[in-house]
Amino acid sequence: MDDVLQVTGLRKGFRSRGGAVQANGGIDLTVTAGQVVGLLGHNGAGKSTLVNQVVGLLRPDAGEILLAGVDAIARPEQARRLASVQAQANVPITGLTPRVAVELVGRIRGGRRPEVASRAAALLGALDLEEWIDTPSEKVSGGVARLTAFAMAAVVPGRLVVLDEPTNDVDPVRRRLLWGQIRALADAGAAVLLVTHNVREAEQVVDRLAILDHGVVLASGTPGALTHGLGDTLALEVETAPGARLGWPAGLVVAQRTRTRSVATVPAERAGEAIAWAARERAERSIEAFSLTQRSLEDVYVELVDHEESAA
Amino acid sequence: MTALARETGVGGSGRRPEAFSRGAEHMRQLGLMVQWQVRRSGQYLPLLVVVQVMLAVATVVGYGLLAGNPDRIAGLYLATGAPTITLITVGLVMTPQTVLQSKTEGSLDWLRTLPAPREVFLLADLVMWTLIALPGTVVGVVVGALTFGVTLSPTWWLVPSILLVSLVSASLGYAIGTLLPPTVAQLISQVLVFTVMLFTPISYPSERLPGWARILHEWLPLEPMAQAVRAGLAPQEFSIAPRSWIVLIVWCAISVLGAGLALRRRG
Repeated sequence: MDDVLQVTGLRKGFRSRGGAVQANGGIDLTVTAGQVVGLLGHNGAGKSTLVNQVVGLLRPDAGEILLAGVDAIARPEQARRLASVQAQANVPITGLTPRVAVELVGRIRGGRRPEVASRAAALLGALDLEEWIDTPSEKVSGGVARLTAFAMAAVVPGRLVVLDEPTNDVDPVRRRLLWGQIRALADAGAAVLLVTHNVREAEQVVDRLAILDHGVVLASGTPGALTHGLGDTLALEVETAPGARLGWPAGLVVAQRTRTRSVATVPAERAGEAIAWAARERAERSIEAFSLTQRSLEDVYVELVDHEESAA
Repeated sequence: MTALARETGVGGSGRRPEAFSRGAEHMRQLGLMVQWQVRRSGQYLPLLVVVQVMLAVATVVGYGLLAGNPDRIAGLYLATGAPTITLITVGLVMTPQTVLQSKTEGSLDWLRTLPAPREVFLLADLVMWTLIALPGTVVGVVVGALTFGVTLSPTWWLVPSILLVSLVSASLGYAIGTLLPPTVAQLISQVLVFTVMLFTPISYPSERLPGWARILHEWLPLEPMAQAVRAGLAPQEFSIAPRSWIVLIVWCAISVLGAGLALRRRG
């Protein structure tokens, strides 16, 4: 296997007003060529700290980062040649149009002018941005700016492409196009490290996942392997009518409950019973809507992170 | 090599010919970075140039008012000091402010992820700021010569001198902007403005300063900058001592290295 990124025992702490914060507490992570690896975790889980160490903006306290065999900590310049990054913060490109920004970055990354021009146009076209391709960026929406930033990282991709929350601010239709382009990057041979908290959508695109919380990888594997532990259970989501009190069937565990929305885990063999109950309640107008779905990666993620939190 | 790499001509055998040395590649990156920076500040460029021109003219005319009826030598000092003041203010004041701005808006960190030598960012900004300062520098000289009725005879080495002055002040500004916390950097650059405009022997001879200040200026780069430009503009009247060149070149090395280190710094 062609491991492009190998991170071993990575530790990085910061001193802050409230004392020391261990942003990365011993991370092990591998991204192989042709793979999209999702790095899940909520705000402050240590995702961006990890990314900044890979491209040499931060120096780790301990651990090793190998990028295509190059020691990225000792040779940050080489690491930057091997990796292209879409940063989490929006790249300010006021004064530039999406086309000019993408072309300039492609050429700074060493691409030849004609190839970069056609690749930039193709990428922006594939993301359905033709309408704004020559519009000064101060006049485009946040979503268009975000997609432009993706195109800047993808126009002349490194062996490793790091995407930090690429879907933020992007509308649902273009988000699908974006996922397609991310997949295409990996299919063309790049190793893609995708940092996100958009668990639901990432699940469809990634080959492997690592769940990061408080600076450590809580779990990693393929989406299938990670959800396998859920066993044969489904999720019953109901929207309660205002003021109604539900009498749940015996034995169903209500996992989440807000004022109008509840989610219960349902063993697969009781699915029929659960639907019949919900339909009856809806007929009696104590439920407004319900759905029974397979439990997803999001559930795994929430359970893992919650478990970690209650243990802490 | 990936299919994309082939398509975009990057990596492995698809790379541009080996004869294209790394140096040429860096020059190319510099040109592209200048384009990036100039286009980004495109709409403000004319305004910046106008402000620099006004600053240069104000230095000449305003100092003339302060001095009353300057004699020929005082007039020469005023006319030849104005361009230096323009160059130094651009480097020490405008550069840290733009660095601070790109730090706060997040573009500096992103730029630093690009595979270009750190000095390319520094030089790109330097080129842009020198271009912005150039019209003001020229206008300052012309207005000064006309106002005080002095004749200047610029030499060829005025051009490298001006570039050196730009380089040193912009690198110092860069180091201030990158190394110091934003508020401190802003304060320092403001203190530097009036230090440069009033308490530095640029538009007047150093003999007017108290002894301790004269000694201080012997070790700072500001007076040598003024001497280099002055001697380049009016070589019959002024000269620059070898010691001043050495001070200036040592400061150049320190500031370029400092700015490079600041850009390489990893938190």
